Amino acid sequence: MAGAGGGGCPAGGNDLQWCFSQVKGAVDEDVAEADIISTVEFNYSGDLLATGDKGGRVVIFQREQEAVVRTKCRIWRDGVLPLFACILAVRYAATALPAERWGSGLREAHRNKSRPHSRGEYNVYSTFQSHEPEFDYLKSLEIEEKINKIRWLPQQNAAHFLLSTNDKTIKLWKISERDKRAEGYNLKDEDGRLRDPFRITALRVPILKPMDLMVEASPRRIFANAHTYHINSISVNSDHETYLSADDLRINLWHLEITDRSFNIVDIKPVNMEELTEVITAAEFHPHQCNVFVYSSSKGTIRLCDMRSSALCDRHAKFFEEPEDPSSRSFFSEIISSISDVKFSHSGRYMMTRDYLSVKVWDLNMESRPVETHQVHEYLRSKLCSLYENDCIFDKFECCWSGSDSAIMTGSYNNFFRMFDRTTRRDVTLEASRENSKPRASLKPRKVCTGGKRKKDEISVDSLDFNKKILHTAWHPAENIIAVAATNNLYIFQDKVN
Amino acid sequence: MVGGLKRKHSDLEEEEEDEKWDWGPAGLRSYQQALLRISLDKVQRSLGPRAPSLRRHVLIHNTLQQLQAALCLAPAPALPPEPLFLGEEDFSLSATIGSILRELETSMDETEPPQNPVAPPGPQNEVLPQPDPVFLEALSSRYLGDSGLDDFFLDIDTSAVEKEPAPAPPEPPHNLFCAPGSWEWNELDHIMEIILGS
Repeated sequence: MAGAGGGGCPAGGNDLQWCFSQVKGAVDEDVAEADIISTVEFNYSGDLLATGDKGGRVVIFQREQEAVVRTKCRIWRDGVLPLFACILAVRYAATALPAERWGSGLREAHRNKSRPHSRGEYNVYSTFQSHEPEFDYLKSLEIEEKINKIRWLPQQNAAHFLLSTNDKTIKLWKISERDKRAEGYNLKDEDGRLRDPFRITALRVPILKPMDLMVEASPRRIFANAHTYHINSISVNSDHETYLSADDLRINLWHLEITDRSFNIVDIKPVNMEELTEVITAAEFHPHQCNVFVYSSSKGTIRLCDMRSSALCDRHAKFFEEPEDPSSRSFFSEIISSISDVKFSHSGRYMMTRDYLSVKVWDLNMESRPVETHQVHEYLRSKLCSLYENDCIFDKFECCWSGSDSAIMTGSYNNFFRMFDRTTRRDVTLEASRENSKPRASLKPRKVCTGGKRKKDEISVDSLDFNKKILHTAWHPAENIIAVAATNNLYIFQDKVN
Repeated sequence: MVGGLKRKHSDLEEEEEDEKWDWGPAGLRSYQQALLRISLDKVQRSLGPRAPSLRRHVLIHNTLQQLQAALCLAPAPALPPEPLFLGEEDFSLSATIGSILRELETSMDETEPPQNPVAPPGPQNEVLPQPDPVFLEALSSRYLGDSGLDDFFLDIDTSAVEKEPAPAPPEPPHNLFCAPGSWEWNELDHIMEIILGS
């Protein structure tokens, strides 16, 4: 799954010139809580981009087919000049269009009539309510409908499948297109009224007629009642048949076809809850080895487990932990070491973890310490007391790899996000804001001033807006296109070369 | 909100930065006390209609433990996450604060070993932590379809819901505390003030 289809995407964060492409979402200063984006995920091809929000909704964007070429040929010369438009729709990913897709290709080309060279923009494809708020009567507790994670399944036919989860329930959704309807039924009228079968004297074969494209989402499986604690992660296995779901204390393995049973593969709940000092914060399957997964903890450790070794993977195969630096020890050491996200590289050779102040890259063959550590916002280290008080210290930032694994990205405060190029060792801070949202405008690097004289264009630490957090980001699997969720807005940035 | 809080604690942070290499005992103590205050506040505020984040609760609890150790109190942790999950607000608040108080009380006394709470805010406090792990086990096994409804109810200790006359808040026995007016006395006093919301 390495970025092979990248078509020569260059090395990484800093050799690229990131430009604004699109922003989705309301412009209002008043942000409705339900509109806050809680997860962002590209599918395997990058054609589809899904977002989940606190209101339990899923919005899927589809990339418009690029390079729509229209040629007009004049065929009549004598005064009557109908235009014979010959439209070729070419998919940027260079896969041949199956015959039935040609039809919808034409339709999309018509939509792009006014912008003949659409640069592959993402537009709304489907919106649906995935989860509703629930009430647990037994415990007198509300169950939030917020979508914690979305994970796509690899595409196997014309339909798309994704898993979406809230704190308690995982759902498998099927998203399918319908662009034809049948007409000429024997047993019912065009109005839908049933015809009297005894009155039918002749039979006809219904014919398929084109209709406006309709995208339908339907829940195909509901995986419920297996988690006592809050689900923080789901991960589809490379066997494409199973997936894992992790909550604070347990990890369960599911088969995508079976909803009434799951296998518990990790359980860190102590016999006596009073002894609880550590929780599971994230989990992921290895991208190629279907028996291997990792999970991270609130104490800054990562455990790699092999499901072949035993049914209950309480004993890890590998244990990753960086020894603490005694000189920087404080009351907040443990909290800031808590890992908020863990992601395998596309190659499967490395994994990346995000804690409060840094991103670390680990070589799976070396458990003693990470091979790379990148500071995200070290200037916050002296502000930890305030950040503890206003709860920001508990924010869970995600991180992601570029398609070729040469760069990594993660979010910060003040709508800043950070990119680290692993080859050139350079990093950049960029901002997602409506002020920089002219089409194809280059993003200017931002800098935070930590003390002393503030230079022009720098922003001081005390002026940072801690309510503008970028927790969720995603990188296109093959190209240099990134999606950044800033509260209720989704920004899409592209490399200029693109 | 962030600005206001910063104003409140900017002194602390300035102190932290200026005295980075030279923590005076008074400065350190007031810093630790402030953190203790903030942490207890958080525990109080974590109750609500939704189940609180277990991760956040565990991290705060671990920080509280460190603070207690630093304030020369022997750690005797009793994490009560279960009452929070039960959502019984009165029970859980008193249980939580009760257990924290219990820790502070028993750990301050060097001669007497930790026993049942000396100053329980209510009778429920003693009983709740016990059935909860079992309660949740029963709950989870029920979710996974292992046990019938009968087994589920057998595990619940119903003494929690049996009403008993609540004892009047007792006078803390003098042999458990340092003399009134000492730092520990004032500390407890201060904590009680926060809890009672005065």
